[in-house]
Amino acid sequence: MAALTAQGAASLRSLVPNVSYDSPTTVKLGSPADFPDGLKFLPDERLFVFRQGNTFHAISAVCTHLGCTVRAEALANLQTAGSGAGELRLTHRFLCPCHGSEYKGDGSNVSGPAPKPLAWYRLSFAPDDGQLVVDLAAEVDTDFRLTAG
Amino acid sequence: MPMPFFGRKAEPDAPGVHPDPLWSLQPRSDREAGDAITSNFAFHAFPAKVSKASMAWSYSFWLGTISAALFFLLILSGLPLLFLYVPSVERAYQSVKDIEYVITFGSWIRAVHRIAAHGMVIAVFLHLVRVYLTGAYKNGAGRGQRREWNWVLGVVMLLATLFLSFTGYLLPWDQLAFWAVTVGTNIASSIPGIGPTVRELLIGGRTIEQATLIRFYVLHVVILPLGLGGLFAYHMWRVRKDGGLAIAEHDAVVERPVETPVVATKTYTLLGVARGQAPVIRTQSIEAPGTTVNAVPDLVRRAAIATLSTIAIVGIMSVFIASPLEEPANALVTPNPAKAPWYFLWLQEIVTDTTIRIGSFTLNGAFVGGVLLPGLLVTLLTAWPWLDRSPVLAAGVWLPRVRARQNMVFLLLVLGILVLTFVGMALRGPYWNFYWPWEVWPDIPARI
Repeated sequence: MAALTAQGAASLRSLVPNVSYDSPTTVKLGSPADFPDGLKFLPDERLFVFRQGNTFHAISAVCTHLGCTVRAEALANLQTAGSGAGELRLTHRFLCPCHGSEYKGDGSNVSGPAPKPLAWYRLSFAPDDGQLVVDLAAEVDTDFRLTAG
Repeated sequence: MPMPFFGRKAEPDAPGVHPDPLWSLQPRSDREAGDAITSNFAFHAFPAKVSKASMAWSYSFWLGTISAALFFLLILSGLPLLFLYVPSVERAYQSVKDIEYVITFGSWIRAVHRIAAHGMVIAVFLHLVRVYLTGAYKNGAGRGQRREWNWVLGVVMLLATLFLSFTGYLLPWDQLAFWAVTVGTNIASSIPGIGPTVRELLIGGRTIEQATLIRFYVLHVVILPLGLGGLFAYHMWRVRKDGGLAIAEHDAVVERPVETPVVATKTYTLLGVARGQAPVIRTQSIEAPGTTVNAVPDLVRRAAIATLSTIAIVGIMSVFIASPLEEPANALVTPNPAKAPWYFLWLQEIVTDTTIRIGSFTLNGAFVGGVLLPGLLVTLLTAWPWLDRSPVLAAGVWLPRVRARQNMVFLLLVLGILVLTFVGMALRGPYWNFYWPWEVWPDIPARI
């Protein structure tokens, strides 16, 4: 009986992964000059990178409902959010093809089943070659901006 | 050396010697009919005698037999696919494409497998509906009946059927497969606390990759078919132990116990004879006179008709209905709209509509609609035989008056699921927006 139990337990344990070969969470995205003013979608990272003058911020494209990739749709009329230095020009809204969730340009959920806003991720410049770097493990507040200078 | 004799002898060789050494589909006596059951492997699961009422087409519609026939056909059509399919993310799509376009009869075999799978989901579901509406999970007069547990087994088998379908869905590794599984496994990860761990175990990592494919593959071709096969055997065994279908109870319950005269060839106790009492046997079973027939050939004939027509119909349908194969799986692009398999569309509808907001507190619809509500539904289904207090006579009858209310509620639930499935299938367009069938979907680019 003990042998059987041990065999069974060992078999089940072997199915629990010890190592995950996921792609790294810190990714170089390219030179800041490659990012046009406005929005750029990076499908590999499932990430929207926004540029407004010389400030950058990044919003996840993973729907908070069930993980489909949301699509950006350009707005006919620009909106703004926030004020002062943190003012955001909202050029797009985001729609999810799976269950119809809708987000504003700053990632806040407006309608549909999405339970919370899209995640914002930390951006930085690589110390070696100055490329834009995203940390997909570090969520930040919506007042986060990376300023090139 | 004497040759074995396969024909039919007119007369036995000697008194007491069996006239026919083999079994026959046209037995001339009850004894020969019984011999056919005991000496044929394929028939050994049948009883020797079966209630006439339980064989009626209009009582059970033979949905259980049809489900079993489809399961058998799925194993049969799955075997060649097993030789042709390669469970690797680099080659799975190409191997399915080969099955579809290169291999002789490949597309037909795949279509048989696919249509039988969809058919089995429908047949098993209808079987459950039939058993519910006839209250066939209720015990009657027989001893040791555990019909309520056979119902529980049946619910588990329905879930196994759905999971079999779902795991098979991923194997072509096309867009349809990839995103259906993304949504499906994210529902699991929405369970508070253990959710992400459950998803990680299910897909063998954090992203849908090779580990996921091989897990689903092994589940689909080994674990689940073996499990369902075992459950099926147990399900059938229980039907026998419980005295057949519930409708047979009426022969026993309704009729008065019948007194049968002494049979001349039987030996009764010496005491009974010595006291001068005529021994009397009281029968109180389904063996009441005139209610049963021999399983061979009556039951065998009907089972063969149900099984073979199922296989024939699926075979013919598969000639005309091609199986879809979308673009190869692409983790970067979510199709718009992205739909789950049709039998999960009612769930996709529910997860869309059940995100609850109370003040600043939000409960993800994925958890409410994808875990809580279906879980509640399955729990209710499982527990229902113990909650149903209607009398025994309500069992084995279609829509009896005493069960009118619960049948009505059940039918409303079934109707709700069907309506939601239809809405998901026909009325949802890009971004899961609602469109009537006559409305044209807006032109939305596949990529941004």
